Amino acid sequence: MKNRQPLFHVVKREDSRPGRQLLAYVTAVVLALAVGAVLLAVQGVEPLTFYKQMLTMGIPGSRYPWRAVENFIKLFVPLLIVSLALALAFKMRFWNIGGEGQFIMGAFWAGFAAMKLGEILPKPAMVLVMALCGAVGGGIYGLFAAALKVRFGTNETLLTLMLNYIALYFLQFFAETKAPWNFFLDPESARPKFAKFPAGAQMVTVPIGPFNLNLSLVAALALCVLIFVYLNYTKRGYEISVVGDSPNTARYAGMRVGRIVLRTIFLSAALIGMAGAFHMSSAGVMSASPTNDVGWTGIVVAWLAKLNTLGILAAALLITVLQFGCQTASAAYPAIDANFANLLQGVILFIVLAADFFTRFRLVRRAGKEAVK
Amino acid sequence: MKKILALALAAAMSLSLAACGGSGNPDGSSANNPGSAGKPNTDVSTPVDSKSDFKVGAVYITSQNDTAGYTFQHHSGITAAMKALGLDPADLIVVDNVPDNDDTAVATAIDTVVNQGADIVFGISFGYINAMAEKAETYPDVIFSHGTGYMANDTNFNNYFGRIYQARYLAGIAAGMKSAELGNNSIGYVAAYNRQYAETCSGINAFALGAQSANPDAVVHVNVIDTWGDEAKEKQAAQALIDAYNCCVISQHCDSAQPQLVAAQNNVFGCGYNSDMTEQAPGAHMTSAIWHWNVYYQTAIQAAMDCNGDASKFVEKMGGNAYYAGLAEGFVDASPLNESVAAPNTKAVMDAVRNLIISGEWDVFSGVKLSYNISDDGKVEIIKTDAPLMSDGYELKDGKVVEMANPEIVPAGGPSVDDGVIKGSMNYNVAGVIEG
Repeated sequence: MKNRQPLFHVVKREDSRPGRQLLAYVTAVVLALAVGAVLLAVQGVEPLTFYKQMLTMGIPGSRYPWRAVENFIKLFVPLLIVSLALALAFKMRFWNIGGEGQFIMGAFWAGFAAMKLGEILPKPAMVLVMALCGAVGGGIYGLFAAALKVRFGTNETLLTLMLNYIALYFLQFFAETKAPWNFFLDPESARPKFAKFPAGAQMVTVPIGPFNLNLSLVAALALCVLIFVYLNYTKRGYEISVVGDSPNTARYAGMRVGRIVLRTIFLSAALIGMAGAFHMSSAGVMSASPTNDVGWTGIVVAWLAKLNTLGILAAALLITVLQFGCQTASAAYPAIDANFANLLQGVILFIVLAADFFTRFRLVRRAGKEAVK
Repeated sequence: MKKILALALAAAMSLSLAACGGSGNPDGSSANNPGSAGKPNTDVSTPVDSKSDFKVGAVYITSQNDTAGYTFQHHSGITAAMKALGLDPADLIVVDNVPDNDDTAVATAIDTVVNQGADIVFGISFGYINAMAEKAETYPDVIFSHGTGYMANDTNFNNYFGRIYQARYLAGIAAGMKSAELGNNSIGYVAAYNRQYAETCSGINAFALGAQSANPDAVVHVNVIDTWGDEAKEKQAAQALIDAYNCCVISQHCDSAQPQLVAAQNNVFGCGYNSDMTEQAPGAHMTSAIWHWNVYYQTAIQAAMDCNGDASKFVEKMGGNAYYAGLAEGFVDASPLNESVAAPNTKAVMDAVRNLIISGEWDVFSGVKLSYNISDDGKVEIIKTDAPLMSDGYELKDGKVVEMANPEIVPAGGPSVDDGVIKGSMNYNVAGVIEG
């Protein structure tokens, strides 16, 4: 008897057409929505109505449509910036899963600046100072993990993960400790409660009719362009991808790998910290858990987009529509809660990964003659 | 072969695409159908008048589909109130799983509820306070009502909470009588927090005073777990109280029924919180301090509907911007006594004190102490004695426990402390309470 081959085996496709990949992704999203539709129908919810409300995010026919758009932007901007920043690190094969911690540290130092300087500095300057403080605060927090990796070869995945929790409890300590030195809290409240930022520390908005355009959206879109250029058209961007592909090649080519890692991770974490700062000045008040899980969701977005800058823009948009749209649509249905968005997100990711597999590989049946034996 | 397979795969993919596309197209064309199909549901009810136009909205900290716990209690209260007022609970607009320590998330949730047309928005968690206050200003045409908070305005924004300490006093009586029966003065109390929150320390104090009214030598040992709910910690804390102090009754201010289950396992007794926990621990649980949230929600929704669209009249219709009701209004109570485990005559004493509190003649934190004379035929006589209300001598100031200048809270015979103290500034334990 000959060695029996399995019925199917996997063969890599020689050609890779971008068109096919795009088609696969669109199919994946549609399939995920179809799975969601079945789940909705099982719970007695008309799927088409639900999806229509979800995709329009309840904006048409609502009392204050512009406010829904403003809220959408508040969710979208942090996710977009964090995903872009994480992609920088991932491109270098540095597994920065510390987005949550870096975001919190950025938010914390931005809040620190707002409470200390908010009365002194005028508005646009204050928002800039907050962004700067957030960037430095987040950046140094990320640099810590990178330095340990470069110097001692520590595992950055574990380190950044654990630093997330340290940041979270650090912030919670300030949120829950009522004491005279704690200038973050409202002195008039008997219970610990964050005080609002002075007016100067509120995000700059441009009124367009009743709608207020949050300037952080403009900043985030500008960042998209800058990062695209940085990664694709600069020497430093090229260094990132060489280090990512093979640190030894990079070394052989005379690149100083340690420095590149430190520089890139500082940049990545600083951008995340800046997103935290933007989020704080948009909120106008500190929060004990300000992240809305962007440090995690950002990883999903970055990989859904395969670290491609334009793809990140699209994926971040899609995920935000899902999350915000689900919340709006589910408000009217007792059976559906906001967790449905997480479920859809999981299904989409799962099917996209499967589709990705089939665009790069194909299944081949074992040859006919052998099958007869 | 390979080509055929590739073709088949491609065909399958494009078919599935077409199929999905097919289901996608009707989306647009039949968009009107689901809407019109949905309408008859509301049309079945009585002709549209201003009442059925009225929309109730809520922001919850956990899921509206919970089957127990804090959100569940509020959700049940709101839906019960809506039914009683002829509104369809299915029309309730809810955003749930909204964390109470993220102001942006809360503000967004409130915007969503308002955008969907809510005329009154209930926020149930203390941490929603900043966002509720801010949105009440942003939307003067919508009514905002914040549970457990203290902020309000004179028009469209109030807060609500209840005199749960009165119910805890009643539960304390059951605990005190049980400890007197057993001849064991040690009573345990698993508390989320103690002096940090007036809500928690007023509950501990009221429970202790109730226990002391039935057993003057009773001591309440408090074990603080630093969270409103964590089943593992609640369980450990209750077990520690039994192991360390040989407590014969376990009371609690935390979310789950774990302390009662621990009491049952150790063959001691217990007083629960939030819901009647006799179901979970039938051999141990005596009575719980419980809320009837629907009492408030019905009052508030009725007042809001009476505003006839002018949200600014809400506070006036409610007769004030801080709703604070107790036993008299039926907002709080002790759950039906589990007489198979409680000491004899407990029910009669609790009923007598309940009536005394409802009558308004006496309240818990006053300079008059109660004790009971029980005749052989089970008749209860309440004896009132003038005695100062004493603290244990310590208070929490700026995060530190310091000695109090004057441990006497109320002089003998004096009136009850202000509601503001019970709701906001109480930061001490009464004598007979020991933390740790």
